Formats: sequence, structure tokens, C-alpha cells
Amino acid sequence: MVKIACVIPAYNEAKNIVRVVDSVRPFVDEIIIVDDCSSDETVVCARTTGALVLQHPINRGQGAALETGNTLALARGADIIIHFDGDGQFLAAEIKDMVEPIISGRADIVFGSRFLGKKTNFPAFKRYIIYPLAKIFTRFLLGVKLSDPQNGFRAFSRQAAELIRIENRGMAHASEIQTKAFRNGLRVAEVPITVIYHHFGQRLSGGFKIVRDLLISKIIK
Amino acid sequence: MLQQIIALIIIFFFILKLMSQKKKQEISGNEFRIWLIFWLVAALAVVFIKQIDYLVARLGFSGSGINFLIYLAVLALFYMVFRVRLELAKTDKHLTDLAREMALRPKK
Repeated sequence: MVKIACVIPAYNEAKNIVRVVDSVRPFVDEIIIVDDCSSDETVVCARTTGALVLQHPINRGQGAALETGNTLALARGADIIIHFDGDGQFLAAEIKDMVEPIISGRADIVFGSRFLGKKTNFPAFKRYIIYPLAKIFTRFLLGVKLSDPQNGFRAFSRQAAELIRIENRGMAHASEIQTKAFRNGLRVAEVPITVIYHHFGQRLSGGFKIVRDLLISKIIK
Repeated sequence: MLQQIIALIIIFFFILKLMSQKKKQEISGNEFRIWLIFWLVAALAVVFIKQIDYLVARLGFSGSGINFLIYLAVLALFYMVFRVRLELAKTDKHLTDLAREMALRPKK
């Protein structure tokens, strides 16, 4: 029996977390919410869902929250670990598409992609400016050949989660995970997913911070 | 000559400030000694600037002694910033590890 755990990093998601957990519950065996020191009622709301709730005592970033969640999921015997955003951007029903390549033995790690055919209300500036730049950067500087360099919807086999320790605590963790997946020789698959934008999300300045963090982490090991 | 006097007066005030900080125990003994040596060396450099000019010219540098000292100071600053960045990154990682350990600790 394959055990599927879902890690949901949450920061000030009191409005969304219950709805997100309820939507995910039918598709996974265990839900781990990692609250990154929210200033709202996220933890209180999360605890009403019956999911496992971890709390960072200080804010450390999404990358750090995901690694905390991965650590617990592995300790609790998860065979597959899903990363699922806590803001309701992803569709929980697509979790079965994400885990299928791992269950069938085709892949060790699966990345969701917004650019493989599914409709999304992508802000035009992101679609035509920010993401093409991000793809160029990840392809030529990190050697990552994926269609979506900054997607938070992922599925890890246990082996992949054990091999990939997320060290970048900020938003550069997405590029880090992809880079380490390729460098470790893992079998990578991409799956089309839907993303519902409620707000603009990460800006171009966020992209520069990601590049900075990746360059610094290359220098400082 | 006037510039040297002004520079020495400024250094003198920095040394007085340093001694006040040591007296109030705002800095440790080691820190006090390091900064005192730094300011004394700076004062010596100001007093013997002509000799430094001569030495720098003998070593083949085209600029003046003071320019050479400034270049050295800038290099030293870059190195210090690099070291501080390394320490910050280490501390940041330790903070994250600590936050993770606290989050994973079983609740009583």
C-alpha cells in the first residue's frame, strides 16, 4: 500500500487553509501543514482540520517550511510526498495525475507545469516576460530543462525526497529542487496542471532575489 | 601639514570614544585592543605619510602613499564584507535548523 503524504506550507492563509485541506483530503493519506509563523489565525484554522500541524517559531520562508514538512513525512513512512500550496491556487483533483508517474514506476519526481496545455488565468506580464526569463536562466545557468521553472506543485518518491534536501529557505528552493533532481540522476516527469491566480504573486523583483540566492548558495557551501 | 593635524585630531577623538566604550563595558577587552592598535597604526601612517609615499614609489606604484593606503583599506573592507556574509549565511542556516527542530519536537 503506497502512503501519500501532502505537505502544505502556509503563511497567513487563515482564509484558505481549511478549504485547501478539505479539497486535498480525498486524494492523500496524510496532510502535514507547516505554518511559517503566520501572524493571523492560520494555525488555529489548520488545527480544526485534523491535519498534522507544525509551527515554525520564526518565519523562515517557503523552502524551509517544505523541508520541515518533508522531514516529518519521511519520518512517518511516506512513500510519496506532494507539495501543495496553501493559497488555493492548485486543483487537488490533479494530485492523482501528479502521483501516477511515480506509482507506475516511470518517474522519481514529478513537476507540475502551467505550460503544457491547461488553461490558466496567467497575468500577461508573467507569461510573456517573467517566466521566459526564468526559463532561460534555469536552462542555461542551472542546466534544468523543464517547461515551468517556478511551480510549487510537485510529487517526490521517497527516494527523491531523501536525496533532495532543500537548503534554500526562500523562493529559490524551486530552482534548487529542480537542479538537484537532475544532478542526482532522478527520473523526472512533467505533468500539465491548472493554476488559478487570485493575485499577481511573485514579481520581477522576486525573480532577482531568487537569482541572487542561487548565486550566493553556489559560492557559500 | 594642516591635513595631518586634522586627521590626527579625528583619530584622537575616535580613541577617546573607544576608551569610553571600554569603560562602559560596551566592548570586550579584545575588541578594544584591536581597534586601539588600528587607530594607532592609522595615526602613525598619518605622521609618516611622506615616508610611506617614498616606500610606495620605490615599490613601483605610481599613486601617492595615501592612495595606496586607501586601496588597501578598500580591499580589506571587501574581504571583511565577504567574511561577514559567510557568517550571516551560516547563522541563517542555523536559525532555520533550530526553527525546524522546534517545529518537529513532539508537543507535550
